[in-house]
Amino acid sequence: MMNSNPASAAAPGAREPAIRAVGLVKRFGAVTAVNGMTFDLAPGRIFGLLGPNGSGKTTLIRLLTGMTRATEGSATVLDVRMPDRANLARIGYMTQGDGVYPSLTVAENAQFFAAAYGVEGTSQVADVLRLVDLADRSKTIAGMLSGGQRRRLSLACALVHRPSVLFLDEPTVGVDPLLRVQFWGHFRTLADAGTTIVVSSHVMDEADRCDELLFVRAGRVIARGTGTTLRAEAGTGDLEAAFLRFAGEPEAAA
Amino acid sequence: MSARRLRAIVLRVIVEIRRDRPSLALLFIAPVLVTGLLTFILRDTTTPDVHVAIATEGTGPAAGQVVTRLATTLADAGMTVTVAASPEASRSAVRDGTATVAIVLPANLAAGKDAQIALVTQGLDPAGDGAQIQAVSSAIVGSLASSLGAVLPAVVHETVYGTPSEDPMAPFAPAIVAFFLYFFVYLLTGVSFLRERTGGTLERLMATPVTRGEIVTGYTLGFGFFAMLQVAILLVWALGTVHVPAIGPLPDFSLGLGIAVAGSPLLAFAAVLLLALGAVSLGIFLSTFARTELQVIQFIPVVLVPQFLLSGVLFSVGSLPAVLQPLVRLMPLAYAVDALREIFIRGADLSVASLQVDLAVLAVIAVLFAAVASRTIRRDVV
Repeated sequence: MMNSNPASAAAPGAREPAIRAVGLVKRFGAVTAVNGMTFDLAPGRIFGLLGPNGSGKTTLIRLLTGMTRATEGSATVLDVRMPDRANLARIGYMTQGDGVYPSLTVAENAQFFAAAYGVEGTSQVADVLRLVDLADRSKTIAGMLSGGQRRRLSLACALVHRPSVLFLDEPTVGVDPLLRVQFWGHFRTLADAGTTIVVSSHVMDEADRCDELLFVRAGRVIARGTGTTLRAEAGTGDLEAAFLRFAGEPEAAA
Repeated sequence: MSARRLRAIVLRVIVEIRRDRPSLALLFIAPVLVTGLLTFILRDTTTPDVHVAIATEGTGPAAGQVVTRLATTLADAGMTVTVAASPEASRSAVRDGTATVAIVLPANLAAGKDAQIALVTQGLDPAGDGAQIQAVSSAIVGSLASSLGAVLPAVVHETVYGTPSEDPMAPFAPAIVAFFLYFFVYLLTGVSFLRERTGGTLERLMATPVTRGEIVTGYTLGFGFFAMLQVAILLVWALGTVHVPAIGPLPDFSLGLGIAVAGSPLLAFAAVLLLALGAVSLGIFLSTFARTELQVIQFIPVVLVPQFLLSGVLFSVGSLPAVLQPLVRLMPLAYAVDALREIFIRGADLSVASLQVDLAVLAVIAVLFAAVASRTIRRDVV
């Protein structure tokens, strides 16, 4: 492995990491979904978890959000060891599925999750719907929205409590190119305002929008760095080819 | 019709169902369980314990002799017999539960068909009363035929609570109200909560500071609201009689089933509501074991039908096979049916001990099931 100690590649600076994983392992019976991950993620940056389906990205996010307990090791978010229910008020999580109530309106969905996160008042709901460009759809029943609109609502529900850390599990799957550009615009705005964002994806062309990438394969972080440094290390101009080199697989297998 | 396409469809259907293990299991187990239970209940129905209190309105040694002879016959038939001092004493023995049937012989017993023998039961459990009356009647006929000759007196059935002959629906109404409410509340909650699990919203909700207890309590109160409306409408419909006068060519008619209720409808409302809250938790709990709405429905023959058979809705609890008796004590529906009979027919209020027990057990079951349901919430979130 060329980058055998991913933790050492953490962003420079004296600030405490927003997210820290130490020796994280998660086994489901005989299957090891996460097989020893250790890394620090600095605040206010966008991190891309890149890897094929089944490489352990979703399980890692579920460990970091405390949705499942680690078999070994620890996950810490904003200095609080997960799982921790109270800490969830500072964390946003956009699941792979839309996870919105189809019979509630757009505004009712956002209001419900705002209440679940303990947000008071209605201004944040209006703000977040404006952010995802659904303000004029606030009275529409979620089940009647288009796929892209439902995805935006799902993002709104993960943002309504203005989390400091945001986990996005394949947020752009099934999203058209125009909306995808908008989404990345939102992510950048949030990161500039100090939000730490972890985005999982298996689409390599999104990778360059992240500040830093973690290549994940078979439950391990096999490489870490910016898109540019990873390409240089792998000696290729193509990120997909770089991933395969780090994974130790012939490119023809792609 | 293409054989190739047909074969593909048939195979697909078979493979799909074969992979749906819970459905497959229920497909075979449920009918075996339900028919087995039903056959067992019908074949092994135990002869009820009959405690007879005999009294006569007649005086003199002749009347006493008839009583003695009848008492011997009934005792020979395996019944427990006491001779009451007066007809009133025999009725109060039934009222306080020391006797299950009172036999009141008329003074004019020898008058043959003009005479009326009264058999008195409590009237709370129509199926149970029926079995008692049947057992006693056949013994009486045998005994009196030998002493009175060919012309037998008429036998009439009276009840301490309610009037059995007037409205055939009255004795069954409490059980039917309770069962259908339980059924619909379970179905509504089970399917709704399953959607929460499969739609990804539960996963999302668990990623917020919301606790499992808050989810179960929230569901219970939310569905409890609709259960409350359902109970209210059902009770108004069952107990109400609104007379609508004739308008133009339309004839006059009555709205509502007009079932008589001796006790407080508000108390009945409270009893059914407790049952419904338990059904909400049951729905949440069972949705853990279901992956599709079909499976929620398939739990009905396994969970609800046995309750229907064992809770005195159709069959008297007292005449169920002894092996099944302990199971009856585990059925929430049994307590609700009993409570409603106490309220509807007997007119019981909160000072009646058996009603207190029923309501307390229903409340405990509702709380217990809510606790169990909240523990199962995380299970399905993968």
